[in-house]
Amino acid sequence: MTVPANARGVIGLIPSACTSCMLCVRECPTWCITLDSHSEQVSEPGARRPKAVSVLDAFSIDYGLCMYCGICIDVCPFDALEWHADFDYAATDRSGLVQSTDQLADWSDGSNSISTISPS
Amino acid sequence: MRKAEVVVVPAAEWLDRIAGLVADGYCWLDFLTAVDRQADLDVIVRLVDPASHAAVLVQASVPVGSATLDSLADLLPGANWQERETAEMFGIAFTGHPDPRPLLTRPGSERPPLRKSTPLPARVLTPWPGAEPDSDRASARRRVQPPGILDTWETP
Amino acid sequence: MAATKRAPSYRVASDPSIRVTVANLGLACCTLEVEAAVRSGLLVPDDGTDEGRTVLLVSGTVTEALAPAVSAALTSLPPDTRVVAFGACATSGGPYWDAPTVVGGVDLLVPVATYVPGCPPRPEALVAAVIAGAA
Repeated sequence: MTVPANARGVIGLIPSACTSCMLCVRECPTWCITLDSHSEQVSEPGARRPKAVSVLDAFSIDYGLCMYCGICIDVCPFDALEWHADFDYAATDRSGLVQSTDQLADWSDGSNSISTISPS
Repeated sequence: MRKAEVVVVPAAEWLDRIAGLVADGYCWLDFLTAVDRQADLDVIVRLVDPASHAAVLVQASVPVGSATLDSLADLLPGANWQERETAEMFGIAFTGHPDPRPLLTRPGSERPPLRKSTPLPARVLTPWPGAEPDSDRASARRRVQPPGILDTWETP
Repeated sequence: MAATKRAPSYRVASDPSIRVTVANLGLACCTLEVEAAVRSGLLVPDDGTDEGRTVLLVSGTVTEALAPAVSAALTSLPPDTRVVAFGACATSGGPYWDAPTVVGGVDLLVPVATYVPGCPPRPEALVAAVIAGAA
């Protein structure tokens, strides 16, 4: 039995696409997403004055609480969250299931491969 | 599953209208439950005609302050347990129910668990990750509440 | 308690030295993934011997009413049994963490060796975590 490529195994983050809008955090039914950001002034060439942009500091999903509903993926206006089929990320303690920005980004940048297990 | 026709009836006609539908062939009870509309409660029952597989959803509204409705348990034996569950979950009294004991809740649970006005202490006490941090954006936005959590909930 | 006397046991097909005893206490969705693991041959029926390591798999939402059964399930097994919390509910209460009658994770009742995320986790995740949990 191979794992289908569209399996809801884990949610990955594309940090460069995230604007810290907090929609995913607010819509998550189990409150398992946390996001920290701060505001910076950015000068654009040719612009009369600098504009304020949000900078993502930390993004985390507590997979011990996550119910894999996908609402966060559905509401993100920038497609910064996506499904991946990986499932082998159990942990020996609760904190090991809280994945932060780098771990979430690893799922999406292809540094983790999709595992398949067949019955012997 | 075929989409069911929805029939809204006054609460006073609940038993008579459903008895009529049962006599017309809709004699199989699928489910009986309620929906909290906050000002009142909608009690819903789905009946199926086993011959044609047609289904009908019957709905009646009862006010929160006096939430009573006739019991269907004598007409449809399957309604017995479903009314016991709906009664304890929403705080509705089914008049004439032969055995109105709680089905699932244990003694000591004062408020109906499925009413939106019944607070979930864990949600009140746990900080919501979606609350705006103290940032320069916070004042520009109106305060956002977590979905489903009411302002009227009090901390225990 | 009757439920724990009849708790079913299986062996991991890819590592038969691991016996998996399922604390199947009438808990919901995650139980179906255990069933799927059995039906697909990832778990095979126990051979009845006492050989090998034992894993107690707690799958599903644990309510206050069922909490004593979880503790009892562990005491009826060998002392080196490792507990695997299977799925969000066994890990933290899952989507029902806010319900007053739900235990917010079986680690409030018994020591847990491995927490398996998922709602529900797939059978392959069960095997991977059980093998890790038995180690």
